[in-house]
Amino acid sequence: MTLRRFALAAATLLGCVASLGASTGMPDWSGQWENVGATPDASGGFNQSLDQVLTRMQWGPPNRPELQARVDKIVASERKRLEAISRGEDPGGVDVKACTFGFPLVMLDSPLMFEILPTPKETTLIFSSREIRHVYTDGRAHTPKDELWATPWGDSIGHWEGQTLVIDTIAVKSPFASSESEGVAVMAFGDVEGEQTVTILSSQAHFIERIRMLDKDHLEDQMTVIDPNNLTAPWHVNRTYERVTHIHRMVYEDCEGEERNPVVNGRFTLAPPPSATPKPATAPNSAPSSPTTAPQ
Amino acid sequence: MSRVQNFALITVAVLLTASPAPAHHSFAMFDQSKAVTLQGTVKDFRWSNPHVFIQLLVKTDSGNEEEWSIEMTSPEHLARVGWKPGAVKPGDKVTLVIHPMRDGSTGGQYISGTGPDGPFAGSPTPNGEGK
Repeated sequence: MTLRRFALAAATLLGCVASLGASTGMPDWSGQWENVGATPDASGGFNQSLDQVLTRMQWGPPNRPELQARVDKIVASERKRLEAISRGEDPGGVDVKACTFGFPLVMLDSPLMFEILPTPKETTLIFSSREIRHVYTDGRAHTPKDELWATPWGDSIGHWEGQTLVIDTIAVKSPFASSESEGVAVMAFGDVEGEQTVTILSSQAHFIERIRMLDKDHLEDQMTVIDPNNLTAPWHVNRTYERVTHIHRMVYEDCEGEERNPVVNGRFTLAPPPSATPKPATAPNSAPSSPTTAPQ
Repeated sequence: MSRVQNFALITVAVLLTASPAPAHHSFAMFDQSKAVTLQGTVKDFRWSNPHVFIQLLVKTDSGNEEEWSIEMTSPEHLARVGWKPGAVKPGDKVTLVIHPMRDGSTGGQYISGTGPDGPFAGSPTPNGEGK
């Protein structure tokens, strides 16, 4: 094959690949996305206060009265805990590796960025925490009950209505180890270490999402939560995501080396990581340095 | 003043069991009601998980040099607001605004800063947004 023919064949192949998305009718949701209003700043995370987050989210889950009483009690305890933190104290309790948010929190109020990879048979959502949601759109039903167990991301199937992805999720459990409460806690995060529980969903919760592009830089997730055990009516909550502007690849948000705040005498302290500055390379064939004179 | 939240390890206490965990992350040790401006020379820029640190050498009134540890957010979050691993280099003369440690030790939480090339990326704007 001549070089010219090879180039022509390669160009044709690339054209076929490029047109694959168009031919399958899949929307182009490429790029990285982040929650509007839950984007971080250089100092540590969300800019908005907890009240702002709650207002922005317009969260008003129709909790059953008995659940609301339980939520109110939890919220009161959370506020006491926040007061202790505001005094610089370790309020006790538990520290949770929040590199795992789980569903639905990962969609509702997390600072994670994510990618969406739509294909005809499956759409995959990959988060910077390395949480992954698999949404099967090949026409299958949910996993049979005798093969199903709850996970922090649930069991998701979906279908396309035009350019809108409709996701149906069941079998969700909290990613947080819990012995005091059962169910999936949905919380709002904001302010300085602020958090507030807004509802707790049962293991029977059923989630329906409609994800669509609002414009070239915004996606929307209209979520409906159906949970007759804990809610008096379906709970509708919307989230909007925007394109990440300063980075164009997925990177890993991890919790390695998380012991940066050892508690001493009931108070958090600061323990920066060791220097990662590489030591000067030793020249080949040079004599080893004396330990007492080696550069630090 | 910007409101911040430690994402890398959110403490979720009340709802959860008191299972012991070795890790602790918090911004509780920083006094969020105070902002202190530091001028100094960068000793090290530690682009590390879960959070990034600037080690800053600051001269005291008596002429001695103190090393401050200034904590930022995670590399992933910093990259999203425009930071890069080489954004700050040892030897850079910088001005940092921080929330100081409550116990008076030489550490703080990064709020904003200016380096040799001007304000750093992601510094909160007057309306409180970090972008």
